[in-house]
Amino acid sequence: MKPISYVDALNSHYGSMGFPPYEWTVNDTAPLFRLDKPLNQCRVSLLTSGGISHCSMPGFDPDARNDHRLDALDEHVDSADFVINDSYYDHSDAEQDLNCVFPIDRLRELAAAGEIGSVAPRFWSGFMGRIYNRTKVIEESAPAFVAKLKEDAVDILVAAPA
Amino acid sequence: MGLVCRVVEAAGIATVCLSTGRDLTLQVKPPRSLFMNFPMGNNFGSPFDPESQTRILRSALDMIYEVEEPGTLIDWPEPWSKPFEYFTGKKR
Repeated sequence: MKPISYVDALNSHYGSMGFPPYEWTVNDTAPLFRLDKPLNQCRVSLLTSGGISHCSMPGFDPDARNDHRLDALDEHVDSADFVINDSYYDHSDAEQDLNCVFPIDRLRELAAAGEIGSVAPRFWSGFMGRIYNRTKVIEESAPAFVAKLKEDAVDILVAAPA
Repeated sequence: MGLVCRVVEAAGIATVCLSTGRDLTLQVKPPRSLFMNFPMGNNFGSPFDPESQTRILRSALDMIYEVEEPGTLIDWPEPWSKPFEYFTGKKR
């Protein structure tokens, strides 16, 4: 199947609702950090933007705009103890098994098997969709997130947008 | 999310992005992306399929070491089991 053209689909979906045209971010270059530590010595964390919250916390706003909320989740958290609030994707599969969007159990298994060095003390859920104030992400929210990853001595971040 | 990965990478933490929007990802250009031609929300495949979930996660981690060109996108070779569409708010 040909990949869905989300740019066209989103332009027409939101245009039909009266939103002004979205100014898409287009980058020609990207940073690349070369890690010189083997995977079995690396500490790995996960980030989801799928409106996924622990049941001890208030749910995300399913129709959020510009929501920079970022939840820290303890590495030992049970994958059954989550709720998903996000109107931008179909999370019926993820509600049955969180790992199909946020594979915390799979990452812990890789650590137990010695394939990765360790699971970071915190997983992360936030930067939920439709953030229009991207300068704030680049200048404030993402650097604040970097500081937390550094506190946890994270080597690798696996990010799954939804 | 791609923007966040770019900031994290630039600060010296290696990132890989499991994308379900190929055109969106090519525009934002995160450092490394594994494109899953799967429905949004199934970035790691189907529920209760730990074998596939692990293979996808392992492939993403391998990209940390294999990618040499900044902004590389790799297409996951396995198709989703059935056709799917852009999600407009209705559950399937």
